Amino acid sequence: MANLEDCVHCGLCLSACPTYQVTGLEVESPRGRLVLLSQWREQAAARDSETRGWLDDCLDCRACEAVCPAHIPTGHLVEAWRSQDAPEARPARALIRLLGLFLGSPRGLSWFRRLARMSQTRWGDWLIRRMARWLPPGAPAVKAGLPTLSAAGVSRRDLSGDGTSAEIFFFVGCVMDALYADTNRHAAELLRMAGYRLSIPQDQRCCGAVHRHSGSPEAARHWAKTNILLFEHSEARYVAVDAAGCGAALKEYASLFPPDSPWYARAQRFEDAVRDVVELLAESLPPLAPQSDRAITVHDPCHHVHAQGIAQETRALLHRAGYTLAEMRESTLCCGSAGIYNLTHPEKSQALLQRKLAEIPDGAAFVAAANPGCLLHMQSGLSAQGGTQAVHPIDLAWQAYHDAGLGTPGSVTL
Amino acid sequence: MTVWLDQVRRVVGPDQVLTHPIALTAYAQDGYTLASGHPAAVVLPSTAPQVQAVVQVLSACDIPIVARGAGTSLSGGAIAGPDSVILHFSRMNRIHSIDWVNRIAEVDPGVVNLDISRALAPGGLFYAPDPSSQQACTIGGNFAENSGGPHCLKYGVTLNHILMADLVLPDGREVRLGNLAGEPDGPDWLGLMIGSEGTLGIATRLWLRALPVPPASRTFLALFDSVSEASRAVSDVIAAGVIPAAMEMMDRLAIHAVERGAYPVGYPEDVEAVLLIELDGEPGVVDADRHTVHALLKARQVRALREAETPQERNLWWANRKTAFGAMGLISPRYYVQDGVIPRHVLPDALDTIRRIGQHYRIRIANVFHAGDGNLHPLLLYNDRDPDEVERVKEAGSEILAYCIRVGGSISGEHGIGLEKLQEMAWQFSADDLRAQQSIKQTFDPSGRFNPGKLLPTPGRCIDFHPLP
Repeated sequence: MANLEDCVHCGLCLSACPTYQVTGLEVESPRGRLVLLSQWREQAAARDSETRGWLDDCLDCRACEAVCPAHIPTGHLVEAWRSQDAPEARPARALIRLLGLFLGSPRGLSWFRRLARMSQTRWGDWLIRRMARWLPPGAPAVKAGLPTLSAAGVSRRDLSGDGTSAEIFFFVGCVMDALYADTNRHAAELLRMAGYRLSIPQDQRCCGAVHRHSGSPEAARHWAKTNILLFEHSEARYVAVDAAGCGAALKEYASLFPPDSPWYARAQRFEDAVRDVVELLAESLPPLAPQSDRAITVHDPCHHVHAQGIAQETRALLHRAGYTLAEMRESTLCCGSAGIYNLTHPEKSQALLQRKLAEIPDGAAFVAAANPGCLLHMQSGLSAQGGTQAVHPIDLAWQAYHDAGLGTPGSVTL
Repeated sequence: MTVWLDQVRRVVGPDQVLTHPIALTAYAQDGYTLASGHPAAVVLPSTAPQVQAVVQVLSACDIPIVARGAGTSLSGGAIAGPDSVILHFSRMNRIHSIDWVNRIAEVDPGVVNLDISRALAPGGLFYAPDPSSQQACTIGGNFAENSGGPHCLKYGVTLNHILMADLVLPDGREVRLGNLAGEPDGPDWLGLMIGSEGTLGIATRLWLRALPVPPASRTFLALFDSVSEASRAVSDVIAAGVIPAAMEMMDRLAIHAVERGAYPVGYPEDVEAVLLIELDGEPGVVDADRHTVHALLKARQVRALREAETPQERNLWWANRKTAFGAMGLISPRYYVQDGVIPRHVLPDALDTIRRIGQHYRIRIANVFHAGDGNLHPLLLYNDRDPDEVERVKEAGSEILAYCIRVGGSISGEHGIGLEKLQEMAWQFSADDLRAQQSIKQTFDPSGRFNPGKLLPTPGRCIDFHPLP
């Protein structure tokens, strides 16, 4: 893999970088960050809080990696720096440890959903206002972005597998499982409509993306082993995932292990099997007649378009489901959610969010985003405006098939 | 020393002035990696009045100023010395208005070149000059360098597309040059400024000519087993009276790199040269030209001809070509790209000469160039940690430029002189020519504060005027 010395300073990454776009600073650009990384490595004097701040502002959106003619993995290099250098200096670290308690196990996820649901009651509202000063500044905004949560539990509880010889290991994720449980149910239903049989192991774990991006790969490695074992046991052909961030992390499982580890090859086999649900459905669902009553637009999550090269598939699926698309400008620019960036960097995150929301075409009823972080973040901004809603493309597709009478009666509607 | 810093901070706000040594290191280079310099500070203005105020403060304290857009210069135009201040225009990036009727776009200098064409697209217009770095480079930098690009073969360079500009001069005055009619009234002052590499004035707002997107366009690839046959085909096309929108060539080593880059096209490994040709205009003319060009290519032993079937395919071919410089990072730690121009008919001889120079200095050279207008871009590959190789690469570069002058060409087509070609300026121009150019600089900037040490060799200082041996 290319390294930071291989940058030839062509500068083509600058316009792709969200933090360069909002600040205009070379030190907030990928090319600048490579200079900072090499300075950090070479001289102790460079290791101060300002330099750390510029490096740590990286969103991990991978937009620079997608456009780099020399394939410099700038996002990955910043990630490696985070895990090696002065991790205690970053507030994200403590937050991650706390989040890990919830996201790390199915039981924690159930609590996570209960707490999120409680925050939507009048009592919860009161409590959050009272506690505001102890919460990260971005937290109230996150709450505003939550979907309305029903009394139903996490998605895995009522999703059962189709017995033996399943083609698909359905990856339920953590935030998807707890907060976007309906989306997971819809994805499972559409996959079955497309003719797949599913295996849905109850004790599968979080993909570890947030931990990895924040410089704590140990947790990710631990959970990866569980998921790999479960996948091997399922004998499925694909691992299907409906969150862009999880998909990108699952497709990089091998890099969690040293190449001489026996886990490396197993992780590689796992990686190769990972498909986003939109990839699996784009060509396999029956086409519906076009409907033009609800205009929609697509936001391409970074970990879809930059990390996995998925963009056309989302549009193909929505087309097939009969939607008419109005494309937004800069659909591939980060919305500012970026894992827990909205909590750790509220100002930059908000600047990116406002820029993103301003590009939503007038009259769009929905902005489709195939990632829980983007959905939460964009909806937090949209709920203040009214009008457009942020929705997972799977939910939109499911609604269309449901309206056409192809869904399961009695399922949850939008 | 800090008096001016405080004053500048009051103008642009304290957050928009960088003095942190590590931050300044990030500004030490642009796209030219054979030189570097650490500025005293970086200032990011947001408005034209701020630019003027900053220039006035710095002029009063005799501080040199270097304007920088995206820092993609290939001749070191945006590299600043230790006593200089960089004005970084990244925050002045608004498209102010588009006059769809008269086809004029009014923009800030920090607007990215490609964003202008994107903004014009809904009205069926585009901005023609398209440097290969257009996804990142800014229009202010294009103005300073009089940038070209593949499509300048047919449409002309930046000079032909800027109607009017506001500039801040070294004495702190703001002037508006040119006019919206696009016809100079008296001396062409605007023309004098375009391509002056930030040594005479700094643009703060620009009015650009937009063109209608041609109704028909065809793009094809011609693969050749011989570089000289491909070169001859280029001359044949021009001699037949066809002016393609673009006619680009890449040789085997260049193809090897781009095929490993972000946008592989799928060129066969053993092909010696590829021509990327685009024809555009009225449908009937494009069809007729297509027949002519195909026949000429076939007469020159073209191995295969492919035509883009979809806009996506065309865009992929162009992305592959336009990221070629950056892709050199895949096959070499550093590259030094040259920009010499030669008369088209000597192309086969030029490529042969470049090959021999590369062999003599033991430097690998990839060729990616605007074949249609004879603008060469030999990419000299080197390792910056090998001082001997760095010396050899500089010598090989100079020798290539000397050749360009010898055959009646020039040392720069579109990348500018910057820091890179100061010595060669004295080969290209006579002492009288250079004195005339110096006197213009003296008139506008007697204290030499705007982009010092660039473009013109300074007599009696670093480099003496001496003619080509």
